[in-house]
Amino acid sequence: MIQKKICMIGDFSVGKTSSVARFVKQSFSEKYLTTVGVKIDTKMVELPNQEQVKLILWDIAGNNALTTATASYLRGAAGYLLVVDGTRLPTWHSAVNLQNMVQEQIGEKPFLALLNKADLVNQWELTQEELNPQLQQGWKMIKTSAKTGLGIEKAFSYLAEQMV
Amino acid sequence: MNDTPPLSIVKYLRSFCMADNILTYLHIDEEGNLVAWGGYPRHYGLDNLAVGQAATEQLFFLEGMLPLEHSQILKFLALEGGQVAHIHLLPIRSSTWVLLFDASQAHDQQQEMQQQLNELSILSYRQSRMLQDLEETRHKLLEEKQKLAEANKLKGEFIAGLSHELRTPLSSIVGYTKLLDESPAAKEQMSNYLGTVQNNAEQLLGLIDNVLDQARLDSNSVEIKPVTCHVRKLLDNLKQLFFPMAREKRLNFQINISLNTPDHIQIDELHLRQILINLMTNALKFTHEGEVSVNVSWAANTFYFSVKDSGPGIDKAQQEKIFKAFHRSENTQHVQGAGLGLSISYRLVEQMGGKLEVESSLGQGATFHGQVYAPQAQNLSIDHMLEKSQPQDNIHDPAATQIQVSDEPKKATILLAEDSRGIRMLMELYIQEGGYQVLSVEDGEAAVQLALAEQPDLILMDMQMPVLDGFHAVEQLRSKGCVTPIIALSASHIDLDKQQALSVGCNDYLIKPIELQTLLTTLKRFLEPS
Repeated sequence: MIQKKICMIGDFSVGKTSSVARFVKQSFSEKYLTTVGVKIDTKMVELPNQEQVKLILWDIAGNNALTTATASYLRGAAGYLLVVDGTRLPTWHSAVNLQNMVQEQIGEKPFLALLNKADLVNQWELTQEELNPQLQQGWKMIKTSAKTGLGIEKAFSYLAEQMV
Repeated sequence: MNDTPPLSIVKYLRSFCMADNILTYLHIDEEGNLVAWGGYPRHYGLDNLAVGQAATEQLFFLEGMLPLEHSQILKFLALEGGQVAHIHLLPIRSSTWVLLFDASQAHDQQQEMQQQLNELSILSYRQSRMLQDLEETRHKLLEEKQKLAEANKLKGEFIAGLSHELRTPLSSIVGYTKLLDESPAAKEQMSNYLGTVQNNAEQLLGLIDNVLDQARLDSNSVEIKPVTCHVRKLLDNLKQLFFPMAREKRLNFQINISLNTPDHIQIDELHLRQILINLMTNALKFTHEGEVSVNVSWAANTFYFSVKDSGPGIDKAQQEKIFKAFHRSENTQHVQGAGLGLSISYRLVEQMGGKLEVESSLGQGATFHGQVYAPQAQNLSIDHMLEKSQPQDNIHDPAATQIQVSDEPKKATILLAEDSRGIRMLMELYIQEGGYQVLSVEDGEAAVQLALAEQPDLILMDMQMPVLDGFHAVEQLRSKGCVTPIIALSASHIDLDKQQALSVGCNDYLIKPIELQTLLTTLKRFLEPS
């Protein structure tokens, strides 16, 4: 059986833990509980070619930069999800920053940007203009909502396909 | 002496440390299989460990980690079961040792602290955003307030201006109609009176049309209806309309049509005519010498037109405002008009899918460039034409003479300062009717000069005049020691204007249109007080 390690990267309170909870347990909690260190979860997914892949999800504590501790969690990752809170523009800048650092640390790996909190789109500070430079660089992005489940399954499946 | 503790003590210490830290160890060989384990793996949810099986399939956190070159510590790693451990990965020879230390308590403490920090940070971010939003809202509200104040000011000025614009021709119409009704006049004189009545009525009609157009544009109820327009006929007609005015001012007036302009185009002719009339009226109104020329051309389904004059020009600051409704620049206050023509033209051109721009600098004249979508009308031939009219020499308008002296010497002399020709003539008639001698001037500066030179018995001073307005003229006269009674003539019924007139030294204030009887009573009050 194939196993792949995926890291959840992003600033704090962007919805990394909630995205994993939605994906693994189909649950969501309104209460914010910060992650310290890293939380590990697993989920089996089936690829379009019916191949089974076990995803080892490393939900890493949120930060706007890569610390020594965070860097140690990245070892062996086959891909990563960059999570952004659409209602807080600085979290997008953190994601752009983190992407460069992660790439420097583990090399080029498949990744996907999750523009989370799509259920609060009327409060979004993130605009198309902000996204354009990264879209032009070939970044793949998806709007997600850990609260409603929008885009979550699709995001993980997409990354799983890219890693195998 | 041997310092090594006895084995029983070592065993006790090991057992104590392992129990206190809930230490678990795992040994993995170079193939990645679990070789041995010890301690408390169940505490970390690591049940059913199978020796000889792949370690990464039993310990998921090892996925991608092996083989190791250097020792590594993974702090605060929460396993699937919820337990938190610090994990030490130690490569020893070709195998790997994995040590798990319980970190639940430290984790909970750190989580509590981090949670507070993060919540505080989010709160402070939201607060700063809210303050920023508030500041933006405040700024927008201030801008809106300024716009409203500006609109209010413009509206006030417009109402005051409109009052003047309506009262001036009305007063003339009322006066002449009364003269026609009351006094037998010669046929020629009667014709002059009727001519003046007609001119003033037309002026009023034009003004009311402009106000209505502005209201229609404001309510978006102007409909653009393209029809087949004979361009040369239209321009010919405009030439006939404006030529007399140009000739009167001895201006070189030209209408030039480029060779590629088709005879017929599809355009809203009525509105195009209105736009051109507004632009040409302005050009002729403000130009006192030199030329006014209209150039039209056509290319790529677009009708281009420009109206150029050698008038006083418009500075950059005014250029930004001239297309706004009711706007009148300071140096055009004395010129007839409500400040709507350019605004209407600009908005009509816009509604016709085109644009209108101005090119000018102070003292260098002005050119208004416009372009409107206008495809060529089908099956019509192109005719070439060039029109030009030359300035006319020796045309003299007696009414334009700066100072006129009436020749009926009787009793007191009254100096009349009034820029409107119609009103001036009417007032002269009224004054003469009262048996007084009259001196007339058209502006404030001439009034000051003549008042000081001739020392009339009374001065009738219009407050809105070119060169020097009535307020400043009265101020100058009073400052030069002139004690002659001065009666202000004004179309404004606003109290503030009356107070201002009295405060600069006027003795009374009459509102136009002025009835013969009112004027004579007032004159008598000052000239024959006994």
